[in-house]
Amino acid sequence: MTELSPMRLWLMRGGFVLLALVIVFFHILPLDTQPTRWAGPDLILAFACAWSLRRPDYVPPLLLAVVFLIADLLLQRPPGLLALLALIGCENLKSRGRSLRDATFAVECLTVAVVITFILVANRIILALVLVDVPGLSLTLSELGMTLLVYPLVVAITHGLMGVRKAAPGDLDTTGQRI
Amino acid sequence: MAKDRSNANDFTGPLRRLLLAVLILILGAIFLLWRIDSPRVERFRAQITDSIIPNMDWALAPVTGTVNLLRDYQSYQRLADQNQELRSELRQMQAWKEAALQLEQENARLLDLNKVRLDPRLTFITGVVLADSGSPFRQSVLLNVGARDGLVDGWATMDGIGLVGRISGVAQNTARVILLTDASSRIPATIQPSGQRAIVAGDNSAAPPIDFLESPDLVRPGDRVISSGDGGVFPAGLLIGQVAADPGGRLRVRLAADNERLEFLRVLRHYGTEDVTDTAQVVSDAPPVSGEGPVTEATEVVIE
Repeated sequence: MTELSPMRLWLMRGGFVLLALVIVFFHILPLDTQPTRWAGPDLILAFACAWSLRRPDYVPPLLLAVVFLIADLLLQRPPGLLALLALIGCENLKSRGRSLRDATFAVECLTVAVVITFILVANRIILALVLVDVPGLSLTLSELGMTLLVYPLVVAITHGLMGVRKAAPGDLDTTGQRI
Repeated sequence: MAKDRSNANDFTGPLRRLLLAVLILILGAIFLLWRIDSPRVERFRAQITDSIIPNMDWALAPVTGTVNLLRDYQSYQRLADQNQELRSELRQMQAWKEAALQLEQENARLLDLNKVRLDPRLTFITGVVLADSGSPFRQSVLLNVGARDGLVDGWATMDGIGLVGRISGVAQNTARVILLTDASSRIPATIQPSGQRAIVAGDNSAAPPIDFLESPDLVRPGDRVISSGDGGVFPAGLLIGQVAADPGGRLRVRLAADNERLEFLRVLRHYGTEDVTDTAQVVSDAPPVSGEGPVTEATEVVIE
Protein backbone atom coordinates (compact mmCIF):
# COMPACT_ATOMS: atom_id res chain seq x y z
CA MET A 1 0.00 0.00 0.00
CA THR A 2 2.90 2.32 0.68
CA GLU A 3 4.28 1.77 -2.79
CA LEU A 4 2.87 4.37 -5.11
CA SER A 5 4.65 3.84 -8.38
CA PRO A 6 3.15 5.05 -11.67
CA MET A 7 2.62 1.38 -12.43
CA ARG A 8 0.31 0.99 -9.48
CA LEU A 9 -1.45 4.25 -10.34
CA TRP A 10 -2.33 3.05 -13.83
CA LEU A 11 -3.21 -0.37 -12.50
CA MET A 12 -5.75 1.16 -10.15
CA ARG A 13 -7.14 3.38 -12.89
CA GLY A 14 -7.58 0.34 -15.08
CA GLY A 15 -9.11 -1.40 -12.10
CA PHE A 16 -11.76 1.28 -11.82
CA VAL A 17 -12.69 0.92 -15.50
CA LEU A 18 -12.85 -2.85 -15.09
CA LEU A 19 -15.04 -2.47 -12.01
CA ALA A 20 -17.45 -0.21 -13.89
CA LEU A 21 -17.59 -2.65 -16.82
CA VAL A 22 -18.33 -5.56 -14.47
CA ILE A 23 -21.17 -3.58 -12.87
CA VAL A 24 -22.61 -2.73 -16.30
CA PHE A 25 -22.23 -6.39 -17.29
CA PHE A 26 -24.35 -7.54 -14.38
CA HIS A 27 -26.89 -4.82 -15.10
CA ILE A 28 -27.49 -5.93 -18.66
CA LEU A 29 -27.83 -9.66 -17.95
CA PRO A 30 -31.23 -10.52 -19.42
CA LEU A 31 -32.44 -12.22 -16.24
CA ASP A 32 -35.70 -10.45 -15.67
CA THR A 33 -37.32 -8.36 -18.37
CA GLN A 34 -40.41 -7.54 -16.33
CA PRO A 35 -40.75 -3.93 -15.21
CA THR A 36 -39.99 -3.58 -11.50
CA ARG A 37 -41.51 -1.22 -8.96
CA TRP A 38 -38.22 -0.23 -7.42
CA ALA A 39 -34.75 0.43 -8.71
CA GLY A 40 -31.46 -0.96 -7.47
CA PRO A 41 -28.54 1.20 -6.34
CA ASP A 42 -26.37 3.08 -8.79
CA LEU A 43 -23.21 1.19 -7.86
CA ILE A 44 -20.94 2.97 -10.33
CA LEU A 45 -21.83 6.33 -8.80
CA ALA A 46 -21.30 5.00 -5.26
CA PHE A 47 -17.89 3.55 -6.15
CA ALA A 48 -16.89 6.73 -7.96
CA CYS A 49 -17.75 8.78 -4.86
CA ALA A 50 -15.89 6.43 -2.54
CA TRP A 51 -12.78 6.42 -4.76
CA SER A 52 -12.89 10.18 -5.31
CA LEU A 53 -12.81 10.80 -1.58
CA ARG A 54 -10.06 8.29 -0.94
CA ARG A 55 -7.69 8.51 -3.85
CA PRO A 56 -8.55 11.34 -6.25
CA ASP A 57 -5.55 10.47 -8.41
CA TYR A 58 -6.99 7.02 -9.17
CA VAL A 59 -10.06 8.56 -10.76
CA PRO A 60 -9.01 11.56 -12.86
CA PRO A 61 -11.82 13.63 -14.43
CA LEU A 62 -11.24 12.28 -17.94
CA LEU A 63 -11.56 8.68 -16.71
CA LEU A 64 -14.74 9.47 -14.78
CA ALA A 65 -16.27 11.24 -17.77
CA VAL A 66 -15.52 8.37 -20.15
CA VAL A 67 -16.73 5.67 -17.75
CA PHE A 68 -20.00 7.47 -16.98
CA LEU A 69 -20.61 8.30 -20.63
CA ILE A 70 -20.18 4.66 -21.66
CA ALA A 71 -22.47 3.60 -18.80
CA ASP A 72 -25.03 6.16 -20.02
CA LEU A 73 -24.84 4.77 -23.53
CA LEU A 74 -25.01 1.12 -22.55
CA LEU A 75 -27.74 1.49 -19.93
CA GLN A 76 -30.13 3.41 -22.18
CA ARG A 77 -29.98 6.64 -20.21
CA PRO A 78 -30.02 10.07 -21.85
CA PRO A 79 -26.35 10.25 -22.85
CA GLY A 80 -24.19 12.83 -21.17
CA LEU A 81 -26.50 14.20 -18.52
CA LEU A 82 -25.87 11.83 -15.64
CA ALA A 83 -22.20 11.70 -16.68
CA LEU A 84 -22.01 15.49 -16.44
CA LEU A 85 -23.66 15.66 -13.03
CA ALA A 86 -21.68 12.73 -11.64
CA LEU A 87 -18.45 14.35 -12.83
CA ILE A 88 -19.33 17.63 -11.11
CA GLY A 89 -20.34 15.75 -7.95
CA CYS A 90 -17.15 13.70 -7.83
CA GLU A 91 -14.95 16.73 -8.45
CA ASN A 92 -16.78 18.49 -5.65
CA LEU A 93 -16.06 15.53 -3.37
CA LYS A 94 -12.41 15.56 -4.39
CA SER A 95 -12.08 19.19 -3.42
CA ARG A 96 -13.51 18.37 -0.01
CA GLY A 97 -11.37 15.25 0.31
CA ARG A 98 -8.61 16.93 2.31
CA SER A 99 -10.94 18.36 4.89
CA LEU A 100 -12.84 15.09 5.18
CA ARG A 101 -9.67 13.06 5.55
CA ASP A 102 -9.64 13.31 9.31
CA ALA A 103 -13.40 13.43 9.77
CA THR A 104 -15.45 10.51 10.99
CA PHE A 105 -17.22 8.13 8.66
CA ALA A 106 -20.62 9.58 9.57
CA VAL A 107 -19.56 12.98 8.28
CA GLU A 108 -18.29 11.40 5.08
CA CYS A 109 -21.57 9.52 4.64
CA LEU A 110 -23.54 12.68 5.12
CA THR A 111 -21.45 14.60 2.59
CA VAL A 112 -21.76 11.83 0.03
CA ALA A 113 -25.50 11.64 0.67
CA VAL A 114 -25.85 15.33 -0.06
CA VAL A 115 -23.82 15.05 -3.26
CA ILE A 116 -25.67 11.95 -4.55
CA THR A 117 -29.03 13.51 -3.75
CA PHE A 118 -27.97 16.61 -5.65
CA ILE A 119 -26.92 14.52 -8.65
CA LEU A 120 -30.16 12.54 -8.87
CA VAL A 121 -32.47 15.46 -8.15
CA ALA A 122 -30.68 17.71 -10.66
CA ASN A 123 -30.86 14.89 -13.20
CA ARG A 124 -34.61 14.70 -12.77
CA ILE A 125 -35.13 18.46 -12.85
CA ILE A 126 -33.06 18.92 -16.01
CA LEU A 127 -34.86 16.06 -17.73
CA ALA A 128 -38.19 17.68 -16.87
CA LEU A 129 -36.91 21.07 -18.06
CA VAL A 130 -35.95 19.80 -21.51
CA LEU A 131 -39.27 17.93 -21.71
CA VAL A 132 -37.93 14.39 -21.65
CA ASP A 133 -40.27 11.84 -20.04
CA VAL A 134 -39.15 11.55 -16.43
CA PRO A 135 -39.36 8.07 -14.89
CA GLY A 136 -41.72 7.45 -11.98
CA LEU A 137 -40.88 9.20 -8.73
CA SER A 138 -40.85 5.91 -6.81
CA LEU A 139 -38.10 4.60 -9.12
CA THR A 140 -35.88 7.65 -8.62
CA LEU A 141 -36.46 7.72 -4.87
CA SER A 142 -35.76 4.02 -4.48
CA GLU A 143 -32.59 4.39 -6.54
CA LEU A 144 -31.48 7.26 -4.30
CA GLY A 145 -32.33 5.38 -1.11
CA MET A 146 -30.66 2.16 -2.21
CA THR A 147 -27.52 4.01 -3.32
CA LEU A 148 -27.24 5.74 0.06
CA LEU A 149 -27.91 2.49 1.93
CA VAL A 150 -25.33 0.58 -0.04
CA TYR A 151 -22.65 3.26 0.28
CA PRO A 152 -21.12 1.98 3.55
CA LEU A 153 -20.85 -1.46 1.98
CA VAL A 154 -19.19 0.04 -1.08
CA VAL A 155 -16.73 1.84 1.18
CA ALA A 156 -16.01 -1.41 3.00
CA ILE A 157 -15.27 -3.18 -0.29
CA THR A 158 -13.21 -0.25 -1.54
CA HIS A 159 -11.24 -0.07 1.69
CA GLY A 160 -10.92 -3.76 2.48
CA LEU A 161 -10.85 -5.68 -0.77
CA MET A 162 -9.41 -3.17 -3.19
CA GLY A 163 -7.03 -1.47 -0.82
CA VAL A 164 -8.10 2.03 -1.82
CA ARG A 165 -7.56 3.87 1.43
CA LYS A 166 -7.34 7.44 2.46
CA ALA A 167 -3.85 8.79 2.27
CA ALA A 168 -2.34 9.02 5.70
CA PRO A 169 -0.42 12.17 6.57
CA GLY A 170 3.10 11.68 5.34
CA ASP A 171 2.27 9.37 2.45
CA LEU A 172 3.93 10.23 -0.83
CA ASP A 173 2.08 10.64 -4.08
CA THR A 174 3.34 9.41 -7.43
CA THR A 175 5.66 12.32 -7.99
CA GLY A 176 7.29 11.72 -4.64
CA GLN A 177 5.69 14.71 -3.00
CA ARG A 178 3.86 14.74 0.26
CA ILE A 179 0.14 14.50 -0.08
CA MET B 1 1.42 20.79 4.89
CA ALA B 2 -1.58 22.40 3.35
CA LYS B 3 0.69 25.15 2.14
CA ASP B 4 2.99 22.65 0.44
CA ARG B 5 0.11 21.17 -1.40
CA SER B 6 -1.24 24.44 -2.68
CA ASN B 7 2.22 25.36 -3.95
CA ALA B 8 2.45 22.10 -5.81
CA ASN B 9 -0.95 22.79 -7.30
CA ASP B 10 0.11 26.10 -8.77
CA PHE B 11 1.17 24.45 -12.01
CA THR B 12 -1.37 21.71 -12.35
CA GLY B 13 -4.35 23.55 -10.86
CA PRO B 14 -5.39 25.80 -13.78
CA LEU B 15 -4.68 23.08 -16.31
CA ARG B 16 -6.81 20.63 -14.38
CA ARG B 17 -9.60 23.15 -14.08
CA LEU B 18 -9.46 23.80 -17.82
CA LEU B 19 -9.66 20.07 -18.54
CA LEU B 20 -12.64 19.78 -16.21
CA ALA B 21 -14.41 22.68 -17.90
CA VAL B 22 -13.79 21.18 -21.33
CA LEU B 23 -15.12 17.81 -20.18
CA ILE B 24 -18.24 19.40 -18.71
CA LEU B 25 -18.81 21.31 -21.94
CA ILE B 26 -18.41 18.17 -24.04
CA LEU B 27 -20.81 16.15 -21.89
CA GLY B 28 -23.35 18.97 -21.89
CA ALA B 29 -23.01 19.27 -25.66
CA ILE B 30 -23.61 15.52 -26.07
CA PHE B 31 -26.76 15.75 -23.98
CA LEU B 32 -28.07 18.77 -25.92
CA LEU B 33 -27.23 17.09 -29.22
CA TRP B 34 -29.20 14.04 -28.07
CA ARG B 35 -32.13 16.25 -27.16
CA ILE B 36 -32.05 18.08 -30.49
CA ASP B 37 -31.15 15.29 -32.88
CA SER B 38 -32.08 12.14 -31.03
CA PRO B 39 -32.03 9.66 -33.96
CA ARG B 40 -28.43 10.46 -34.82
CA VAL B 41 -27.21 10.01 -31.25
CA GLU B 42 -29.33 6.89 -30.83
CA ARG B 43 -27.69 5.47 -33.94
CA PHE B 44 -24.33 6.27 -32.38
CA ARG B 45 -25.49 4.54 -29.19
CA ALA B 46 -26.54 1.49 -31.20
CA GLN B 47 -23.10 1.36 -32.81
CA ILE B 48 -21.33 1.63 -29.47
CA THR B 49 -23.56 -1.11 -28.07
CA ASP B 50 -22.91 -3.15 -31.18
CA SER B 51 -19.17 -2.91 -30.72
CA ILE B 52 -19.16 -3.69 -26.99
CA ILE B 53 -21.95 -6.12 -26.13
CA PRO B 54 -21.30 -8.91 -28.68
CA ASN B 55 -17.78 -9.10 -27.25
CA MET B 56 -19.26 -9.82 -23.84
CA ASP B 57 -21.45 -12.56 -25.27
CA TRP B 58 -19.10 -15.36 -24.26
CA ALA B 59 -19.59 -14.33 -20.65
CA LEU B 60 -23.19 -13.11 -20.78
CA ALA B 61 -24.65 -16.42 -21.93
CA PRO B 62 -23.05 -18.73 -19.34
CA VAL B 63 -23.66 -16.34 -16.43
CA THR B 64 -27.31 -15.93 -17.42
CA GLY B 65 -27.59 -19.69 -17.79
CA THR B 66 -26.05 -20.34 -14.39
CA VAL B 67 -28.30 -17.86 -12.61
CA ASN B 68 -31.35 -19.29 -14.32
CA LEU B 69 -30.23 -22.79 -13.34
CA LEU B 70 -30.00 -21.74 -9.70
CA ARG B 71 -33.42 -20.13 -9.89
CA ASP B 72 -34.86 -23.25 -11.43
CA TYR B 73 -33.31 -25.27 -8.64
CA GLN B 74 -35.10 -23.09 -6.11
CA SER B 75 -38.32 -23.63 -7.94
CA TYR B 76 -37.82 -27.41 -7.78
CA GLN B 77 -38.22 -27.14 -4.05
CA ARG B 78 -41.80 -26.15 -4.64
CA LEU B 79 -42.23 -29.17 -6.84
CA ALA B 80 -45.07 -30.79 -4.96
CA ASP B 81 -47.21 -27.65 -4.99
CA GLN B 82 -46.44 -27.11 -8.61
CA ASN B 83 -47.37 -30.67 -9.44
CA GLN B 84 -50.75 -30.20 -7.84
CA GLU B 85 -51.35 -26.95 -9.70
CA LEU B 86 -50.28 -28.48 -12.98
CA ARG B 87 -52.65 -31.39 -12.54
CA SER B 88 -55.65 -29.16 -12.09
CA GLU B 89 -54.50 -27.00 -14.98
CA LEU B 90 -54.08 -30.08 -17.12
CA ARG B 91 -57.67 -31.08 -16.53
CA GLN B 92 -58.83 -27.69 -17.75
CA MET B 93 -56.45 -27.85 -20.67
CA GLN B 94 -57.80 -31.17 -21.84
CA ALA B 95 -61.23 -29.66 -22.18
CA TRP B 96 -59.74 -26.78 -24.12
CA LYS B 97 -57.68 -29.11 -26.27
CA GLU B 98 -60.81 -30.90 -27.33
CA ALA B 99 -62.42 -27.60 -28.28
CA ALA B 100 -59.29 -26.47 -30.09
CA LEU B 101 -59.11 -29.65 -32.14
CA GLN B 102 -62.67 -29.27 -33.26
CA LEU B 103 -62.09 -25.64 -34.16
CA GLU B 104 -58.90 -26.50 -35.99
CA GLN B 105 -60.70 -29.00 -38.16
CA GLU B 106 -63.46 -26.55 -38.84
CA ASN B 107 -60.95 -23.84 -39.65
CA ALA B 108 -59.06 -26.09 -42.03
CA ARG B 109 -62.28 -26.96 -43.81
CA LEU B 110 -63.28 -23.31 -44.11
CA LEU B 111 -59.84 -22.26 -45.32
CA ASP B 112 -59.95 -25.00 -47.90
CA LEU B 113 -63.36 -23.83 -49.08
CA ASN B 114 -62.08 -20.29 -49.26
CA LYS B 115 -58.79 -21.19 -50.99
CA VAL B 116 -57.12 -18.76 -48.58
CA ARG B 117 -53.40 -18.30 -48.97
CA LEU B 118 -51.91 -16.87 -45.80
CA ASP B 119 -49.60 -13.96 -46.41
CA PRO B 120 -46.41 -15.62 -47.63
CA ARG B 121 -44.32 -12.56 -46.98
CA LEU B 122 -44.90 -12.63 -43.25
CA THR B 123 -41.84 -14.75 -42.56
CA PHE B 124 -39.67 -14.35 -39.52
CA ILE B 125 -36.10 -14.26 -38.28
CA THR B 126 -35.38 -15.72 -34.87
CA GLY B 127 -32.91 -13.96 -32.63
CA VAL B 128 -31.43 -14.68 -29.21
CA VAL B 129 -31.76 -12.14 -26.42
CA LEU B 130 -28.24 -10.94 -25.61
CA ALA B 131 -28.93 -8.34 -22.95
CA ASP B 132 -31.66 -6.23 -21.46
CA SER B 133 -31.76 -2.47 -21.04
CA GLY B 134 -29.81 -2.67 -17.79
CA SER B 135 -31.85 -0.05 -16.02
CA PRO B 136 -35.27 -0.20 -14.38
CA PHE B 137 -36.26 2.98 -16.20
CA ARG B 138 -36.29 1.47 -19.68
CA GLN B 139 -37.76 -1.80 -20.91
CA SER B 140 -35.91 -3.16 -23.88
CA VAL B 141 -33.82 -6.13 -24.92
CA LEU B 142 -30.92 -6.51 -27.31
CA LEU B 143 -31.11 -9.22 -30.01
CA ASN B 144 -28.17 -10.82 -31.77
CA VAL B 145 -29.61 -10.12 -35.22
CA GLY B 146 -29.21 -6.80 -36.97
CA ALA B 147 -28.84 -4.99 -40.27
CA ARG B 148 -26.68 -7.92 -41.41
CA ASP B 149 -29.81 -10.07 -41.32
CA GLY B 150 -31.92 -7.44 -43.06
CA LEU B 151 -33.71 -6.10 -40.00
CA VAL B 152 -35.51 -2.80 -40.35
CA ASP B 153 -36.67 -0.36 -37.68
CA GLY B 154 -40.30 -0.81 -36.72
CA TRP B 155 -40.70 -4.53 -37.35
CA ALA B 156 -42.81 -6.48 -34.89
CA THR B 157 -41.21 -8.92 -32.48
CA MET B 158 -42.98 -11.89 -30.93
CA ASP B 159 -42.19 -14.73 -28.64
CA GLY B 160 -43.93 -18.00 -29.41
CA ILE B 161 -47.37 -16.68 -28.42
CA GLY B 162 -47.77 -12.95 -28.36
CA LEU B 163 -46.35 -9.63 -29.39
CA VAL B 164 -43.32 -8.57 -27.36
CA GLY B 165 -42.32 -5.27 -28.89
CA ARG B 166 -40.97 -3.40 -31.83
CA ILE B 167 -37.49 -3.08 -33.29
CA SER B 168 -36.02 0.31 -32.54
CA GLY B 169 -32.36 0.84 -33.26
CA VAL B 170 -30.62 -1.51 -35.67
CA ALA B 171 -26.86 -1.85 -35.76
CA GLN B 172 -24.79 -4.20 -37.89
CA ASN B 173 -24.95 -7.24 -35.59
CA THR B 174 -27.50 -6.28 -32.96
CA ALA B 175 -30.93 -4.75 -32.77
CA ARG B 176 -32.82 -3.30 -29.83
CA VAL B 177 -36.41 -4.29 -29.14
CA ILE B 178 -38.52 -1.75 -27.25
CA LEU B 179 -40.90 -3.88 -25.18
CA LEU B 180 -44.62 -3.14 -24.97
CA THR B 181 -44.10 -2.28 -21.31
CA ASP B 182 -41.64 0.55 -22.03
CA ALA B 183 -42.92 4.05 -21.33
CA SER B 184 -42.30 5.09 -24.93
CA SER B 185 -44.14 2.19 -26.59
CA ARG B 186 -47.45 2.89 -28.39
CA ILE B 187 -49.10 0.13 -30.40
CA PRO B 188 -52.42 0.50 -32.28
CA ALA B 189 -54.69 -2.38 -31.32
CA THR B 190 -58.13 -3.82 -31.91
CA ILE B 191 -60.15 -5.32 -29.09
CA GLN B 192 -62.10 -8.41 -30.03
CA PRO B 193 -64.98 -9.21 -30.18
CA SER B 194 -66.28 -5.63 -30.07
CA GLY B 195 -63.80 -4.53 -32.73
CA GLN B 196 -62.90 -1.27 -31.02
CA ARG B 197 -59.70 0.52 -31.90
CA ALA B 198 -57.36 1.61 -29.13
CA ILE B 199 -53.73 2.27 -28.36
CA VAL B 200 -51.73 0.04 -26.02
CA ALA B 201 -49.49 2.57 -24.30
CA GLY B 202 -46.67 1.23 -22.14
CA ASP B 203 -46.08 2.93 -18.80
CA ASN B 204 -43.23 0.96 -17.25
CA SER B 205 -45.59 -1.45 -15.51
CA ALA B 206 -46.12 -5.14 -16.23
CA ALA B 207 -49.58 -4.59 -17.74
CA PRO B 208 -49.74 -1.60 -20.14
CA PRO B 209 -52.97 0.46 -20.04
CA ILE B 210 -55.34 0.87 -22.97
CA ASP B 211 -55.62 4.43 -24.25
CA PHE B 212 -57.95 6.24 -26.65
CA LEU B 213 -60.77 3.76 -26.26
CA GLU B 214 -63.98 5.11 -27.74
CA SER B 215 -66.59 3.35 -25.62
CA PRO B 216 -65.12 1.43 -22.72
CA ASP B 217 -68.55 -0.01 -21.95
CA LEU B 218 -68.24 -2.38 -24.87
CA VAL B 219 -65.00 -3.82 -23.56
CA ARG B 220 -64.98 -6.46 -20.89
CA PRO B 221 -62.06 -7.96 -18.99
CA GLY B 222 -61.00 -11.11 -20.80
CA ASP B 223 -61.47 -9.70 -24.28
CA ARG B 224 -58.64 -10.41 -26.69
CA VAL B 225 -56.38 -7.55 -27.76
CA ILE B 226 -54.71 -7.90 -31.16
CA SER B 227 -52.64 -5.49 -33.22
CA SER B 228 -54.76 -3.55 -35.69
CA GLY B 229 -52.15 -2.71 -38.30
CA ASP B 230 -53.21 0.92 -38.33
CA GLY B 231 -50.47 3.13 -39.64
CA GLY B 232 -49.01 0.32 -41.69
CA VAL B 233 -45.99 -0.20 -39.47
CA PHE B 234 -47.22 -3.38 -37.86
CA PRO B 235 -48.88 -6.37 -39.44
CA ALA B 236 -52.47 -6.73 -38.27
CA GLY B 237 -53.80 -9.58 -36.21
CA LEU B 238 -50.87 -10.32 -33.88
CA LEU B 239 -52.01 -11.36 -30.42
CA ILE B 240 -51.09 -8.82 -27.76
CA GLY B 241 -52.97 -10.14 -24.76
CA GLN B 242 -56.18 -9.98 -22.77
CA VAL B 243 -58.02 -7.04 -21.30
CA ALA B 244 -57.90 -6.82 -17.52
CA ALA B 245 -59.20 -4.13 -15.18
CA ASP B 246 -56.89 -2.89 -12.44
CA PRO B 247 -58.23 -2.04 -8.98
CA GLY B 248 -58.66 1.58 -10.05
CA GLY B 249 -61.02 0.46 -12.79
CA ARG B 250 -58.57 1.32 -15.56
CA LEU B 251 -58.41 -1.12 -18.45
CA ARG B 252 -55.04 -2.72 -19.00
CA VAL B 253 -53.63 -5.46 -21.19
CA ARG B 254 -52.34 -8.62 -19.60
CA LEU B 255 -49.67 -9.51 -22.13
CA ALA B 256 -49.78 -12.89 -23.81
CA ALA B 257 -46.01 -12.97 -24.21
CA ASP B 258 -44.04 -14.25 -21.25
CA ASN B 259 -41.98 -11.16 -20.47
CA GLU B 260 -40.46 -12.72 -17.41
CA ARG B 261 -38.04 -14.80 -19.38
CA LEU B 262 -37.37 -13.74 -22.93
CA GLU B 263 -34.84 -16.00 -24.61
CA PHE B 264 -35.67 -16.34 -28.28
CA LEU B 265 -37.67 -13.76 -30.18
CA ARG B 266 -39.15 -13.83 -33.65
CA VAL B 267 -38.81 -10.72 -35.74
CA LEU B 268 -41.56 -10.63 -38.35
CA ARG B 269 -40.51 -9.40 -41.76
CA HIS B 270 -43.06 -6.84 -42.81
CA TYR B 271 -42.80 -4.61 -45.82
CA GLY B 272 -45.94 -2.62 -45.16
CA THR B 273 -49.26 -2.91 -46.89
CA GLU B 274 -49.24 -1.83 -50.50
CA ASP B 275 -51.15 1.31 -51.35
CA VAL B 276 -53.86 0.98 -53.96
CA THR B 277 -53.55 4.21 -55.87
CA ASP B 278 -55.25 3.55 -59.21
CA THR B 279 -58.70 2.28 -58.32
CA ALA B 280 -60.29 5.24 -60.09
CA GLN B 281 -59.00 3.88 -63.37
CA VAL B 282 -60.83 0.64 -62.93
CA VAL B 283 -64.11 2.30 -62.10
CA SER B 284 -64.10 5.27 -64.48
CA ASP B 285 -63.48 5.19 -68.23
CA ALA B 286 -60.54 7.52 -68.02
CA PRO B 287 -57.55 6.20 -69.99
CA PRO B 288 -54.64 5.00 -67.82
CA VAL B 289 -51.91 7.50 -67.27
CA SER B 290 -49.05 5.07 -67.50
CA GLY B 291 -48.69 1.38 -68.28
CA GLU B 292 -51.39 -0.96 -69.40
CA GLY B 293 -51.52 -3.30 -66.45
CA PRO B 294 -54.66 -1.95 -64.78
CA VAL B 295 -56.61 -1.88 -68.05
CA THR B 296 -55.92 -5.47 -68.97
CA GLU B 297 -56.83 -6.53 -65.45
CA ALA B 298 -60.04 -4.55 -65.70
CA THR B 299 -60.96 -6.08 -69.03
CA GLU B 300 -60.25 -9.53 -67.68
CA VAL B 301 -62.64 -8.83 -64.88
CA VAL B 302 -65.25 -7.70 -67.35
CA ILE B 303 -64.78 -10.78 -69.51
CA GLU B 304 -65.13 -13.10 -66.55
